Amino acid sequence: MIENYNFNIDKIPNLSQEEKSIRKKNLDIFFQSGFPNKKLEDWKFTDLNSLISKNFQKLTNIEKFNIDKKLELLNNFQHNYVYLINGKMNSYNFSHEEKDKIIIDNFNNSNRNANKPLNSLNFLNDALAIDGFYLEIKENYKLKKPLIIYNFFSNNLKDVIISNKNSIKINKGSSVDLIEYSLDDSNNCFIKNTNEQINLDEGSNLNYFVLQGSKSNNFFYKYIKSKLKKNSNYNNYILTSGLKFNKIEFDIELNDDNSNCEIYSALNLKENNHQEIKTLIAHNSPYCRSYQVIKTVLNDQSKGVYQGKIYVKNQAQKTNAYQLSKTLILNDKSEFNAKPELEIYADDVKCSHGSTSGSIDENSIYYLMTRGISEIDAKQLLIKGFLADFLEKVKNQEIKMLFEENLERQVNGS
Amino acid sequence: MLNIKNLKVSVENKLILNDLNLKINPGEVHAIMGPNGSGKSTLANVLSGKKGYEIQGEILFDELNINDISVEERAQKGIFLAFQYPVEIPGVNTNVFLRTSLNSIRKSKGEKELDTLNFLKLIKEKAKELGIDEKFLSRQLNVGFSGGEKKKNEILQMKLLQPKLSILDETDSGLDIDALKIVADGVNSYKKKDNAFLIITHYQRLLDYIKPDFIHVLSKGKIVKTGSAELALELEKSGYKNL
Repeated sequence: MIENYNFNIDKIPNLSQEEKSIRKKNLDIFFQSGFPNKKLEDWKFTDLNSLISKNFQKLTNIEKFNIDKKLELLNNFQHNYVYLINGKMNSYNFSHEEKDKIIIDNFNNSNRNANKPLNSLNFLNDALAIDGFYLEIKENYKLKKPLIIYNFFSNNLKDVIISNKNSIKINKGSSVDLIEYSLDDSNNCFIKNTNEQINLDEGSNLNYFVLQGSKSNNFFYKYIKSKLKKNSNYNNYILTSGLKFNKIEFDIELNDDNSNCEIYSALNLKENNHQEIKTLIAHNSPYCRSYQVIKTVLNDQSKGVYQGKIYVKNQAQKTNAYQLSKTLILNDKSEFNAKPELEIYADDVKCSHGSTSGSIDENSIYYLMTRGISEIDAKQLLIKGFLADFLEKVKNQEIKMLFEENLERQVNGS
Repeated sequence: MLNIKNLKVSVENKLILNDLNLKINPGEVHAIMGPNGSGKSTLANVLSGKKGYEIQGEILFDELNINDISVEERAQKGIFLAFQYPVEIPGVNTNVFLRTSLNSIRKSKGEKELDTLNFLKLIKEKAKELGIDEKFLSRQLNVGFSGGEKKKNEILQMKLLQPKLSILDETDSGLDIDALKIVADGVNSYKKKDNAFLIITHYQRLLDYIKPDFIHVLSKGKIVKTGSAELALELEKSGYKNL
């Protein structure tokens, strides 16, 4: 197996001897098991190891960061930005904000405490990560404009793995609307392995939007560890249709009373797309709320996976946890796997989960057609409707419109 | 406008409409009454082009045989069906639906599509005529609407799309008297020389508000009696049994 990979820690710039030796140890741990395969419970519907051996020749870690390119920015609305090229922070701009409220810096293994590794991809990340970003918002500050994290990938990548780490800390009473926007110029194969940590202090709010700006044939894995304190709110909106492979793994700790997290995912999968959302939400304190709605449309031979676990600690009374997965299956060759799990040690809790799958309602198509709408348009309208109903929850109208535009594009097929 | 000749309709070899003949001219209001199971709703569905029926005979609309024409093309040519049970469609905004519908029809006629601004102006005007709150237009299509709101929404669509032939399938069912009046006013205000109505109803009640030119009684898949508006009163008294 090792002979298929050419991972070289010496390629990573500015490492001390000590750091190099820690990274080498992590790499050795990765090599003991390799990429996760379906024998592992957490990966039983997503055999990454076999997908990687099918799609990559000799995988190496990335070394190309300096590309000569004018930054492409969205012109839909005014925003702050952090621009990452091939995983590494290239530039940032917070001109709409008060300067002393924001800390923005590179983030890597050595300068801050990173997440503890849980799986072989985490170990590989610890071995190979290059600088991502570190963002901190100081106390009692509400960002005036949304922040867009651009993830740009250049077109000169082939058989590489990009590993990076990001960290977001929102201090007491502060609020951020953040959009992660990925753009991919590359048609060649790469793997992106991201490890992110999010810390929400008392009374803080983070709305985290994930948006895919272009189709991509590449492989994305992201592990996000989030810790919430009292009265904080963490809402996620995921619209990543168009990716050939994507797995997002949420590990969320509701550590203090009245913390609240929501996850909405709306995916329109086509061709041989394979996307998985995996969540672990730990209710560690009373009066916390979690809410998950996962919507998936499956076309062609696509595959969707949702594994959602809710864990309720014994002292977490008055927990309110909800998860729902709804799937539209448009092709018999497509596949959806849902694995809901509840592990509850408190007795006064409200937990529910549900999973439905079916095809588009014929009666709805008929109704729309009696209004002069063609069958194709009727189906697209219904698919958009099926996916879009969470948009009602998005309060920022500019972001909502950006999502609507993208959904339109993702469903209409360009 | 509509000329149905010897129409036979069956579903899974069960004959539902048997040799039905009906002619509707522009400017006329026809009512079809009949007991449950007489084939009233089947007739409405078949005229709209719904799939799943075996059809013999001819349906001519503006002299054109429409038997093989799809649902959306019939709508584009001017056939409108107000549903007995309008479908709830979560996630689809009522305004978006109405605009898509209107523009599909305009496009089919080679007319220019309306942009959002002009559409909103038009729809607000139409909604006002029917006493429909604007807020209701930004809600998800028919989701959580009361029975009366759903039926008003059907009439709103009719007035927006300006069909030649409007088929109202039990539009009066589930309506209280105020909603019934609003629906009837909507229909009456749309009555013109060059369009026609086919009103399907179980009860005479709606016909107190919408005056038909002809009443047909449908029984066991056939029109067994045709008369003037007075026939409805007679039926109300003696029921369908004697027919």
